[in-house]
Amino acid sequence: MRRLPVYILLDTSGSMYGEPIEAVKNGVQVLVSTLRTDPYALETAFLSIITFDSSAKQITPLTELSSFQQPNITANGCTALGEALALLANRVDAEVTKSTMEKKGDWKPLVFIMTDGEPTDDLNAGLAEFKKRKFGMVVACAAGQGANTETLKKITECVVQLDTADSATIKSFFKWVSASVSAGSMKVEDAGTEMTSMSELPPPPPEVNIVV
Amino acid sequence: MDENNSEKEIQNREMSCLIKEKLNSFGTSISPEMFEEFINFSVEKLWVSYTQNWQEKESSIQDKMNALDISFPNGTTNKEYAQSFIIDDDEFERIEFEGLENVGLQFLKDEAANAFTIKGTPTIAGDFDIKMKCYYRGWIPGKNILERVFHIAVNPDPRSLWKNIPTSSEIEYYKPDSESFLLSVENEKNVVVASQRGRSHAHEGKARDDDFKIEYTDSKWYLTAVADGAGSAKYSRKGSQIACETVINHCKEALKDSTMFEEFIKFYNDDAENPTNRKYVGDNLWNIVGNAAFKAHRAIKDEATLKGAQLKDYATTLLLTICKKFEFGWFIASFWVGDGAICIYDKSSHRINLMGTPDGGEYAGQTRFLTMPEIFSDTASLYGRLKFAIVEDFTSLFLMSDGVSDPMFETDANLNKVEMWDKLWENLNHEIDFSNNNEQINEKLLSWLDFWSSGNHDDRTIAILY
Repeated sequence: MRRLPVYILLDTSGSMYGEPIEAVKNGVQVLVSTLRTDPYALETAFLSIITFDSSAKQITPLTELSSFQQPNITANGCTALGEALALLANRVDAEVTKSTMEKKGDWKPLVFIMTDGEPTDDLNAGLAEFKKRKFGMVVACAAGQGANTETLKKITECVVQLDTADSATIKSFFKWVSASVSAGSMKVEDAGTEMTSMSELPPPPPEVNIVV
Repeated sequence: MDENNSEKEIQNREMSCLIKEKLNSFGTSISPEMFEEFINFSVEKLWVSYTQNWQEKESSIQDKMNALDISFPNGTTNKEYAQSFIIDDDEFERIEFEGLENVGLQFLKDEAANAFTIKGTPTIAGDFDIKMKCYYRGWIPGKNILERVFHIAVNPDPRSLWKNIPTSSEIEYYKPDSESFLLSVENEKNVVVASQRGRSHAHEGKARDDDFKIEYTDSKWYLTAVADGAGSAKYSRKGSQIACETVINHCKEALKDSTMFEEFIKFYNDDAENPTNRKYVGDNLWNIVGNAAFKAHRAIKDEATLKGAQLKDYATTLLLTICKKFEFGWFIASFWVGDGAICIYDKSSHRINLMGTPDGGEYAGQTRFLTMPEIFSDTASLYGRLKFAIVEDFTSLFLMSDGVSDPMFETDANLNKVEMWDKLWENLNHEIDFSNNNEQINEKLLSWLDFWSSGNHDDRTIAILY
């Protein structure tokens, strides 16, 4: 079966403590329960969560939506975004199947990154590893004014910004992620091709601004 | 009631007297006021210490309870659910669950073995919180019942989520959502073909992109074409149709008088090692099958121009075979561009002849299409798409779109495994009696195409010469 891997990278540094991290937890829950009612996503999308604070951890390995269990997410430490990108590259190598004569491969992974601050580690090392892999759509989200959209532009062309990192805004970001995963699942199953540009994503809600 | 109260009062008074006597025995004489103060003081102190004591105990049991290694995997509606766990600790005297009835589950316990099971068949999808309640050893009314909340997610049955919306006949290039056809040839092999719109198309009321055409010519050639329009191309349903129509019409015309070609085939059969014999068959095939494909490419291009659309809007794969019985056996030639499969299967000799290689990319979903100009610009690779074989006899010749080959074979490598073809043939024979010259065989094949395979919801088309 051709899976659509979805990697979600979440900033769990100290600055996310309190309302933002609770909103993120809630967001993951909403994301999963929404996708579970979409027949395309339910059968195609596989989800992984990578968190990064002082170090990066894959707290949920690539998992079928139907068996996804809410991970425990806490906030503290700094912002090792570079390490998170390196870990992502590493996990994609291990978890995403390429097509060979022996096996029909997965679709290119979708990646959603959410951060509220500047990376505190060496971004370039991780970025180099990340750039060596093939991804489908990669969306980076600057949550609030603390994150530098210029930095995120180095990772991907698709950068969005949330005006504030309050729970309503974070929730609408996750709803948009969910709609995007639905659209991606539908496209691969229906058309047999992947999303390639931001214009194929559903229009973001007013709280989510596209950074041009 | 009154009697009880007065009895207690008497007891209390006796207790006070006892305490007073005890105090007096220390030689202390105590005023009634001091005595009352003393009692209040003592009771308060003791109460604090007592409460602290049981609360500490409770909190340590609560910690133990939170640390119990219990988790609940997600369930699926109408699928049996069971999750067992063992609580090997006497401190948890009685365990109960609250909220299970909302999920359609029940709690079973085997006290002797300390084994607990949550089971049942969930009927409603959703996210549920269930509460585990614990009465610990020594619990008495007034103390807390310890609780821990668990989350159970119930997935909907994926099948229940798919809708089946008929395609509007108003759309451009309308075609029926399913089609099937039986071509019976007296005293000879028949061809049956069926094509079914995929679930993902049905869910959105979109048209089938696959197509087929079969023909038996006066010169006794079997012509079979199957095409799979690319899901991403908006007019691919027309592309696949033009492809099938054009190649069959061309081959029919080209094989009207096939005497020369058949002579070459006979020469080739007599001496297959002779390169000249091979070349003659190959050159003729080039004119018949190769040109058919090129004509189809051109015809689609013309249609696109007429429509003011792009060629790639009509992207389609093409699987084509021409086939005839000779006294020495069967001659089968094919042209294959894109994914799917063409295969000659013989059950008795347990052999297959896969008539080419599917075009696949590094990642899934990157295939080649008849509509790509590069298919025809590279002559060597075009030659590679032409195949021919002579076999004594065979059980069935298959042509199928990837909507069938993907779920049945999963990988390209499996297409080369005869066991996989055995399985497919068995699977088909389970529901369809091919030995019977049954008029309904095409309908049966069509309903066979409805098989469930998770994540595989593409249009499905299969043609079988048997």
